[in-house]
Amino acid sequence: MNRVLATRLSRLAQYGFLSLLFGFIATPMLVIVVFSFDANRFPTIPWGGFSLQWHRAILDDPMIRNAFLNSMLVGLGTAVLSTVLGFAAAYIDFRYRFRLKLPFVLLVAVPPAVPATILGMAMLAFLSRIGLFGRLETVMACHVAIATSFAMAIIRLRLNDLSRDLEPAAWNLGASPAAALIHVVLPFCKPALVASFFLSAAVSFDEFLIAWFVGGVHETLPVRILNLLQGQVNPKINAIGTVVLVISVALVLIAQRFTGVRAGRRPTPEGE
Amino acid sequence: MTAASVTTRAGALGRWSWLRRPRMAGSPAVLPSMLGLPVLIWQAVFFAAPLVFLVVVTFWQVKAFRLEPAFVLDNWSRILFSATFQRALAHTFAVAGTTTVLAVAIAFPAAYTIAFRLSPRLRDLAVAALVVPVFSSYMLRIYAWQIVLSPEGITNALLGGIGIDPLPLLGGAFSLQVGLLTLTLPIAVLILVFAMAGIDRTLVEAAENLGCRRARVVAHVIVPSLRPAIALTATTSFLLAFGDYISPLFMTGSKPPTLSILIVDTVKSGSQWPRASVIGVSMLVMLALVLGLGQSLSRGRAARREAAR
Repeated sequence: MNRVLATRLSRLAQYGFLSLLFGFIATPMLVIVVFSFDANRFPTIPWGGFSLQWHRAILDDPMIRNAFLNSMLVGLGTAVLSTVLGFAAAYIDFRYRFRLKLPFVLLVAVPPAVPATILGMAMLAFLSRIGLFGRLETVMACHVAIATSFAMAIIRLRLNDLSRDLEPAAWNLGASPAAALIHVVLPFCKPALVASFFLSAAVSFDEFLIAWFVGGVHETLPVRILNLLQGQVNPKINAIGTVVLVISVALVLIAQRFTGVRAGRRPTPEGE
Repeated sequence: MTAASVTTRAGALGRWSWLRRPRMAGSPAVLPSMLGLPVLIWQAVFFAAPLVFLVVVTFWQVKAFRLEPAFVLDNWSRILFSATFQRALAHTFAVAGTTTVLAVAIAFPAAYTIAFRLSPRLRDLAVAALVVPVFSSYMLRIYAWQIVLSPEGITNALLGGIGIDPLPLLGGAFSLQVGLLTLTLPIAVLILVFAMAGIDRTLVEAAENLGCRRARVVAHVIVPSLRPAIALTATTSFLLAFGDYISPLFMTGSKPPTLSILIVDTVKSGSQWPRASVIGVSMLVMLALVLGLGQSLSRGRAARREAAR
């Protein structure tokens, strides 16, 4: 009896702890959304009543509209290019063996692990010397260098499930390696390609330090937020924040929907 | 039968086929190079070259606000022996170390509950809820903590409601750790959840059948088989906290400065690129050392376990 009670208490403590953790993670996001609809200038309690004025204000702000458009362009370009490059890198890692394979894979995999401050400064120093500073395309190119790592990881994971005999079977039937790649491997990778498209877009949409360093006058939305944050308290920030939050959460959730990564194989037969 | 044998033979060949069979595309290396070269060039130009250039710049000189090629060690000696740099270095290490310990200590029990106590459905939901913050709006969430913790902010308004005087929550070690844990906790929990989900359940059941209480199972079965994952969690948390710019900037107002803050300040103040690069390269070297240490910790123990078997 005592032991049952102890188990119950321990479970209760575990669930309580987990709820605290999720509370900690969710609080800042909720605060942003809730206070974006607050009529007060300075966000605090008590709530000043429901208002859409800050959301309207960001629609009227040409700098914010422009930054939003820039973010969209950079995000879309990053998503397309990272998915293409990530697929190429993942397929090479899957299919071929060559001597410098490890350095090749590391070159693609490592960028997200380098602190963005250092990477941003390095990119600015180098790219401005070859005349690429201050362009939206440069921001995108730098985002691609980072996001391709995630794209490669997702697609490589999917390729793990591709039977190694499937492509040789296609070759035996007369398909060229390129044809087999297009008609066998690509369709198989489709969910992973969709996932990496959206995840790369999310990575780009969320990145601010590199965009801040190499973008010059071309601000993306997070850079605009960073610049607003360094000024005075501005109630518009919560409203932009809500928009950014909704978009990036949506991107990540869509990406997740297509990865099919699960924590642990399920013992029940309904699992994969 | 014949079809099967053909596939098997091709399967054996498959991996190497690009070496052996000339195809209509011409040389067999055409496809891999067409796939690989764009990736290689892209990562070389936009990732590797900037980092190499960063190292090169540490030996250059600034004359009349212009960066000029040179080979001087002056930047290195000036930065490495400056008190500002040394203080920032010690501070950054202390901060990142604290975050690492806190992240692992908090993430472990949480991951345990997610991996072993939740139903598969809830577990998927928990994982989804943890993946989202890894990829979204870190800077905004730090701003939100500012709102929550500031002197006239939400927490103090709530505390005032029950008659407690405002607490100086923002601008110290506490708020800095709140910020850095916002960055590190989701990913720390994720790594541990995936590692725990991969633990061989039969081992756990065997220990239970032999009469182990849950605490002993955790100490003798789960923790030992998680060593590499714990090392990975620790190094990842350290890496993120060590290089972060946003939390120190907004949660402590850059006082005292961390190395990231120092880099940006050095770049801003009179184009001191070489010195900022010295700080950047030193940070990368230190991170590499920490990563290596983590690797050897997890591998060394795994090897010892292997030997004990």
